[in-house]
Amino acid sequence: MTGMGDRILGLFLLVVAVAYGWVAQQWPEPFGGAEGVGPETFPTILAIVLVVGSLYLMIKPDADAKWPVGKSALELVISIIVLVVYALLLEPLGFIISTTLVIGVLSWRMGAPLKQAFVTGLISAVVVFGLFNYGLSLSLPDGLLGGF
Amino acid sequence: METIGFLMDGFAVALTPYNLMFALFGAFAGSLIGCLPGLGPANGVAILIPLAFALGLPPETAMILLTSVYVGAMYGGRISSILLNIPGDEPAMMTCLDGYPMAQQGRAADALAISAIASFAGGLIGTIGLIILAPVLARFALTFGPVEYFALFVLAFATLGGITGKNPMKTVIAAALGIMISTVGIDISTGTQRYTAGVLELYEGIDFILAIVGLFAISELLFFVEARMGKGRSKVKVGKLTLSFKEIVSTIPTQLRGGVLGFMAGVLPGAGASLGSFISYTLEKTVLGKKGRFGEGDIRGVVAPEAGNNGAASGALVPMLTLGVPGSGTTAVLLAMLISLNITPGPLMFTQNAEIVWGVIAALLIGNVLLLILNIPMISVFVRLLSVPPMYLLPIVTMVAFVGIYSISHSTFDLYFMIVFGVGGFILRKLEIPMVPIILGLLLGPEMEKNLGHALILSDGDWMTLWSSPLAIGLWLVAGLGLVLPTLVGPILRRRMRSAIKEGPVSD
Repeated sequence: MTGMGDRILGLFLLVVAVAYGWVAQQWPEPFGGAEGVGPETFPTILAIVLVVGSLYLMIKPDADAKWPVGKSALELVISIIVLVVYALLLEPLGFIISTTLVIGVLSWRMGAPLKQAFVTGLISAVVVFGLFNYGLSLSLPDGLLGGF
Repeated sequence: METIGFLMDGFAVALTPYNLMFALFGAFAGSLIGCLPGLGPANGVAILIPLAFALGLPPETAMILLTSVYVGAMYGGRISSILLNIPGDEPAMMTCLDGYPMAQQGRAADALAISAIASFAGGLIGTIGLIILAPVLARFALTFGPVEYFALFVLAFATLGGITGKNPMKTVIAAALGIMISTVGIDISTGTQRYTAGVLELYEGIDFILAIVGLFAISELLFFVEARMGKGRSKVKVGKLTLSFKEIVSTIPTQLRGGVLGFMAGVLPGAGASLGSFISYTLEKTVLGKKGRFGEGDIRGVVAPEAGNNGAASGALVPMLTLGVPGSGTTAVLLAMLISLNITPGPLMFTQNAEIVWGVIAALLIGNVLLLILNIPMISVFVRLLSVPPMYLLPIVTMVAFVGIYSISHSTFDLYFMIVFGVGGFILRKLEIPMVPIILGLLLGPEMEKNLGHALILSDGDWMTLWSSPLAIGLWLVAGLGLVLPTLVGPILRRRMRSAIKEGPVSD
């Protein structure tokens, strides 16, 4: 069956729309009573619009996009993990170490030779750190290198 | 005459050494961003917003910086069109048609130079149009009440997919999603907590800057990873400049036509820079007919789309500055900057924040001059940067996005949110759900709700008020057309654009 992507998205959005609309109906009436527009009016309209849109998607889906499979999909997952790890390590390890690692890994996975990838990472990390901390006085975390 | 006085004040703002320095930096960074395939003006401006914010730049300086990046990216887009036959951004698509053949014939330097001149002409014409039209429109917009504003917002969403948009329903879905995200947080008028699930970080709502950077910068990285284009492509050698003065003069009519058409396409809702460059290229082909060698490296085939897209870039600022309703992705991102600087966009800006509006307009003029100067002698610098492969550049760009977001709040919570938006954006883009309506929904959602509320309070809860004035009915009609027309005209226009591109020797 073609158009699976759009159908799944439609189903997902339908669930989101119904949940969103339902939650809106649960809010207590604001103090003093609502005059025409309460906090739930606008969300209710949005929920209806999205329900219509998602039904349309399920009934008349577009042709499927080409989804990454195999190695491309793996590379994507790796990149997303690297980004999450970056956010995780930024403060404990400090900007320079974590950035060197992250840019190194990303460049390497995108096809750069290992050594050049990490050298690029180190140089750009040091340059940006210097620029931000001394040039623009926005402090980036020192982390492990904080003792110097 | 009043306008001239304001413009002079604008120049006084834009010409201070501090602002001029930022304009120069913005123009340079913009050209660079524009010429990298995959990074367009919207990405460029998006990445720099958190930085401008974190640096605590004064509002006019921040806006001057970002406008220069915007114009610079429009200039830069042509470089990779001509040298690599890949448009640096969407509006530069039409420049490939004659630009790349010219480069193959050893006239790359000429193509780059004449397109810089055409960009300048287009930008100048567009900015003059902006100076004339904007104050008039702003005065007219002062008559708008909440009803008209609500209809106008709907119109903005309806036409955002553009006349060439593929599936208008997907624009509607994207807009609804964006507005939904904007309703998270404490409701301003009643104090009700909406969709916060008790998470403290959500009380103030989701910061649209995070969303914008995630949707644009992070999803772009993921696209590159997926396509595995890390190594970049081979490019044509630039060679010597042989452009004669006579040749430049011969293209002046083309420049004028392109600039004016582009400006109009930019102002109109639903058209935008891509259509601007397409229309001016097609018109040029029709006007000159057999006299030209379009598609085989005709110099006017490079001039027309470049004048067109730079004219459109300035034109697109008209609705953004006067109505607070952007008509394109990049102007939506510029609007995000204004809102986060606590400036209410719209007609009042012309009286309350005149120094910002006119500073930006003056910066456009100065930016165009700077870019012309940057782009002719310094073209080799950009060309060299173009040969830095994406496998080094994109990780660095991603890092800059992280740094920008981190330095706003110094919280890693925001970084996770940005990654979520990036991954979500990637999936939605794969499903051809456009990003721009999501962003616009995030930005305009609160305003839309506020105006709806005001309108209904004024009418004592009577919903018919939304159709009560002729102006509002007119706006609703245009909005309706904006959704219906693409399904009728869109396929034809899209086919023409595609076949125009196929006619060019793209395959070799």
